[in-house]
Amino acid sequence: MSKPQPKANAEGGGSSAQQIPGRTLGLSIMCLMIVFVAAWMTFQSRQQEATVVASAEALASVTGLRSDAWYLPDEPLLGFVKIPAGTFTMGSNPALDRLAYENERWSSARRQGSVELADFYIGKFEVTLAQFWNYAQENPTLADKIPADVPGNIPITNITWPEALGYARWLQGKMESSPNTPEELRSYLASGARISLPSEAEWEKAARGTDGRLFPWGNMPSMEFANYDSSIPLPVGSKPCDQCAFGLQDMSGNVWELTRSPLQAYPYTVDDDTANLAEDALWVMRGGSFADGVGNIRAAVRGGVDPGVRNNTIGFRLVITTL
Amino acid sequence: MAISASSKQHSRNNRPSTAGQLGSGLGAFKFPFALSSLLIALSFVPRIQGNTTLVWSFWGAAAALLAWQAYLLVNSKNKNEERVFSILLRPQHYIQAMVQFSVYAYWGYYWRPVYDHAWLIIGQLLFAYTFDMLLAWSRRREYSLGFGPIPIILSINLFLWFRDDWFYLQFLMIAVGFMGKEYVRWQRDGRSSHIFNPSAFALGFFSLILIATNTTALTWGQEIASTLTLAPNIYTYLFLVGLVVMYFFSITLVASAAAITLFGISALYSAGTGVPYFLDSEIPAAVFLGLHLLITDPSTSPRTPLGKTIFGMLYGLGVFGLYTLLGSMGSPTFYDKLLVVPLLNLSVIAIDTSVRSIHSQALLNVWRESWFGGRANLAHMSIWIVIFASMSFLGKTDSMHEGDSLPFWEQACASELPNACSRMLQLEASYCGDNAAWACNEIGAHYREGKITESNEELSLAYFSRGCELKFQAACLNLLDQDLVAREVPHELDLRLLLREGGQNLMSASTQELYEKACDHNWAFACESNRSQI
Repeated sequence: MSKPQPKANAEGGGSSAQQIPGRTLGLSIMCLMIVFVAAWMTFQSRQQEATVVASAEALASVTGLRSDAWYLPDEPLLGFVKIPAGTFTMGSNPALDRLAYENERWSSARRQGSVELADFYIGKFEVTLAQFWNYAQENPTLADKIPADVPGNIPITNITWPEALGYARWLQGKMESSPNTPEELRSYLASGARISLPSEAEWEKAARGTDGRLFPWGNMPSMEFANYDSSIPLPVGSKPCDQCAFGLQDMSGNVWELTRSPLQAYPYTVDDDTANLAEDALWVMRGGSFADGVGNIRAAVRGGVDPGVRNNTIGFRLVITTL
Repeated sequence: MAISASSKQHSRNNRPSTAGQLGSGLGAFKFPFALSSLLIALSFVPRIQGNTTLVWSFWGAAAALLAWQAYLLVNSKNKNEERVFSILLRPQHYIQAMVQFSVYAYWGYYWRPVYDHAWLIIGQLLFAYTFDMLLAWSRRREYSLGFGPIPIILSINLFLWFRDDWFYLQFLMIAVGFMGKEYVRWQRDGRSSHIFNPSAFALGFFSLILIATNTTALTWGQEIASTLTLAPNIYTYLFLVGLVVMYFFSITLVASAAAITLFGISALYSAGTGVPYFLDSEIPAAVFLGLHLLITDPSTSPRTPLGKTIFGMLYGLGVFGLYTLLGSMGSPTFYDKLLVVPLLNLSVIAIDTSVRSIHSQALLNVWRESWFGGRANLAHMSIWIVIFASMSFLGKTDSMHEGDSLPFWEQACASELPNACSRMLQLEASYCGDNAAWACNEIGAHYREGKITESNEELSLAYFSRGCELKFQAACLNLLDQDLVAREVPHELDLRLLLREGGQNLMSASTQELYEKACDHNWAFACESNRSQI
C-alpha cells in the first residue's frame, strides 16, 4: 500500500502532481456552491410570495361578483345601499328587550337615546374572501390570511382591525379612480366621503332601521333570516331577508362585524372617540356570529375586540360616509 | 478566533500533543461513517423532528457525506491507497473552544434560543468533522484529528444561524468555510497557507449573498447581534475570557488595537457631533465579541507586532466605515463586523511586507521584546487591562449609555445634531419591532408629518397598523383619519421594552421602579408622575 504524501507536496507541483489532486476542481465546486446558494435564496424568496398569492386564485370564481369591479356584488351600486339621513333610536330598553346587556343602556337616567346621522352608504353584504383576496394580490403579506379551500363568497375572517381598514382604504383608492364605479358613488366620494368601517351608530341604524326593532327583520328571533347557533359561517346572503331594514343581509349572525368606534360607555357621541388615549384600544364589534346564541345577534348588542385579534368569528362590512 | 489546523505558531504553551496514527487503511472509513450515522441519529431528537425541513437538511447532509465516503472507499480500494488519520491536539483549538463554549453558556442563560440551538450545533460539528476528514482524504492527505473544527463551528454560530426552514444553507456555509481553507491558499513566508480565516470566509460570503438578495430574515443574524447584551455585564465577561485567549496565544495586539481604535474614533465622533456613533454603545457587543474571537487567527493575521497592531486598527476602521455604508444602503448594519475580516485577511502579506520595509529602527524597536524582559505579551495585556478598566470607569462599556435613552435622541434630533433624526428613527423602528406600540406610533407620526424625514404615507400606515394591533389607541386613531397625528406618552408595557438598556428584563419590575427608571432616562411625564405620587 502506498503511504499518503506529505503535506509539503500537496499543492500539485513536481513529481507528486499525479497523486495529489490539484485545487482547480475543488475551487470550482466551491464557487458553484456559492452561486447556487445565491440563486436559490433569490428564487426561494420570490417563489414564496408568488405561491401564496396564486393559491387563492380559485376564490375569485364566484358568480354574482364583478371581476371588473374588485369582486363587489353585481348590483347597481356594487352592493352599497343608501341609508337616508335622519334620527334613530339607539341602545336597549330592558322593558322591551329582556336579553339587553347593561352596556346597551344609554345613561343612568335614560334607557335609550336618539341619534341623528347624515346620509351614508353601507354594504349590503359582509366583505367576502374573494374581495379581500383581490386586495391581498397587491399586498402579498396578507395573502397567507386567505384560506384557499373555501368558496370566495364566505365572509373574510381572521383579519385584524387595521387590516380591515387597510382594505377600506385600498378600495377607496380604486373606486375614486375607476370608470367602473357607479356615478352616484363616485360623486359622493368626490364630495369628501370616504370608505371605512361603520361607526357603531351607523351600523345600528342600518341594522334596526328607524323603528327601534330588536332584530333587523322585527322583534322576534328567527333562524330563517340569520345564521346563528351553528358551527360555520355561510356564504354571504345565504339567509335572504327582504324584510330586513334597508334590505341588508347578515346584519345578525354569520360573523361579528368590526366598527370604527372605540368601546366606551353610552351615551354615544363621536366627540368621545378621541378621548382616553391612555387606555388600551378596544373597538366595538356588532351583530354576533354563527357561533353565538340569540342574545348576541340582537341589533343593539355591543361586543369589544382588541385591534390585533384574529378570530374566525370576526369579519366586517364597509360604509361610505362623510363622518 | 477560528484557528486552522495548519497553524504553526506555537508558543511554549501551545505545542500540539500527538497520539500517533489512530486509523489507517480502509478501516479508517469507520470513523466518518460513524459520524454520518450519528448525524442521522441526531435528526430523531424532538428539537429537529419539530421541523420537516430541518430533518431533511440533516438527512441530506448525511446522505451527501455517505456518498462521498463511498466514492472515496471505492477509489481507495481500486487504487490500493490508504486513508489515514491521526490524533493531533492543539491548545489553540481546545482553549479557544472552551472560551467560546463559555460565551454560549453565559449568553444562552439569558437568551434561551441559544440553548435550544445546541442540538443544531452538535449536528454541525458532526458534519464539520466528517467533511473536513473527507476533504483531506480527497486531497490524499493524512487527516489530523483534533479540536480544529470546533472553534470554526462555534465561531460561525456566534454570528449567523439560518432559521430551521433554511437550515440546509447552514451546512453549505460550513462546507464553503472548510473548502475555502483547503482550496483558497497562497504562499506565505515560503509555505502554502490558507488566505482566509475559515469561519470569517464562510460568514463573509454568505453575508454578501444575504445582503444582495435581501434575505437576512432567513437567518437569526439580527437577533444574535442584538441579544448578546441581554447577558448582564457582557463587555466585562468578553473582556475576561478574551484575556485567556490573549495570554495563551499572543493576540493582544490585534484585539486591543481594534478595540482601542473603535473606542477612539467613536469617542472622537461623539465629541465632534454630540451624538454617539453606534446607537447605544461605544462598541456594539457583537463587534467586541468579533474582535476577540473572529479576527485573531494567527494563520490569517500578520506575524510582526507592528503588523498585528495595524491589522487590529484596520479592523476598527473597517467596522466603523462599514457601519455607515451598510446603513446608507438600507442593509442591516450587523454585517459590518463580518464583511471586513476577509478583506483584512487578504491584506496580511501587504501589511507584513510594509512593516518589514520600514527602515526606522526606532519605530520597529518600540515592540522589542527586551523592553519587557521577554514578556511583551504580558506588557500588552497590562496596557489593555488598564484601558478597558478606564473605559468601564468612564461608563463606556456595561453601564447605561446615553444612546439608550429615547428622550436623548428626541432632544438631539430637535437640536438638529448630525444623523440624530435618522438614528432616532432607526431606534424607534427597532423598538417597534420589539412590540413597543408607542415607538410604532411615533415613527408612523414622523413619516406622516414629513418633518424629520421624507413623508411616506404608506410606511406611516404600516407603522400605525402595527401600533394599533398592539392596542395603542393613538395609532388606531391615526389609521382612521389620515389628516390626524395623535400622540400619547408610552404605556407601561412600552416602558418595560424601552428602558431595557439593551439587556435588562423589566417585565417583573414594579410600576414605581419603572417610572423611576423612565425619569432617569429623562422621560418628563414619568418624572411628573413620580412627583405627583410623592
